[in-house]
Amino acid sequence: MNVSPSEAEEALTAIRSMAQKTRQSIASSGAYITLIATGIVWLIGFMCTQFLQGVVVVYIWIGLSILGSILGVVLGMRMGKRVRSPSTAPIAKRIGLFWLLLVLYGIAAIVLARPTDGKQVTMFVILFIMLGQLAMGLLFSFSSVWWALPVTTLALVGYFLLPDIFYLWMAILGGGGMIALGLYIRSRW
Amino acid sequence: MAELNETIHQTVRLRIMAVLATLEPTDEVDFSYLRDLLEVTDGNLGAHLRKLEEAGYIAVNKTFVERKPRSFVSATPEGRRVFQEHVAALEAILKSK
Repeated sequence: MNVSPSEAEEALTAIRSMAQKTRQSIASSGAYITLIATGIVWLIGFMCTQFLQGVVVVYIWIGLSILGSILGVVLGMRMGKRVRSPSTAPIAKRIGLFWLLLVLYGIAAIVLARPTDGKQVTMFVILFIMLGQLAMGLLFSFSSVWWALPVTTLALVGYFLLPDIFYLWMAILGGGGMIALGLYIRSRW
Repeated sequence: MAELNETIHQTVRLRIMAVLATLEPTDEVDFSYLRDLLEVTDGNLGAHLRKLEEAGYIAVNKTFVERKPRSFVSATPEGRRVFQEHVAALEAILKSK
């Protein structure tokens, strides 16, 4: 079979173009939207925690968590209709069980440690969620593992060095950072 | 030395393999998703998928989702190997220019 250099170049361009289109399509189905949505939840939630007081903050977090969960399920279903992974389907229940157990372990840790203020509770929640994210990333996709590390580091830095503006710090750098990362993934892919 | 593959080199089949090779090895894509991504007709895509399936480069998994028949397509390990070899051969042609 004979292929000229110009034909080879044309074929390679077509391959690269399709690979990019596929990645963009998959990304738009879930990855970047999830990051942006989580970032918005953190941005609004932590801003409210910084500037509002009382039970209204709890309600805002509950509302945001419900909205985030619904969005996650919708995106997951949308993604599953297009691309599916037979290897992950049988262990979907185990993933659900893992997160359930992680939540229970997190509650147990908080009850045992008896945190003295909201910041400590927030740090416990962030650490457990990021631990779960790291576990998911390590088990299923190395490409999605790394962002949990800077978010955890930012949270620890804010907690220890900037306690007075900890929630604002988490809103802007944690939430804003996730939004920026989501937009970056979208534009890069 | 890497070899060109005549079956894969055809434009639509090359683009099909490029899509499937971009996915994780265990992932499979829905027929309609692939059709939309490639911007081809059902008949055209079906014909090219049959050729690739006959060559053993892809696997077509026919199943039911919510009581509707659906076909999911994935690249076989052999298909991925042959595709990578084809890409390497194309790059070698460009380098030798």
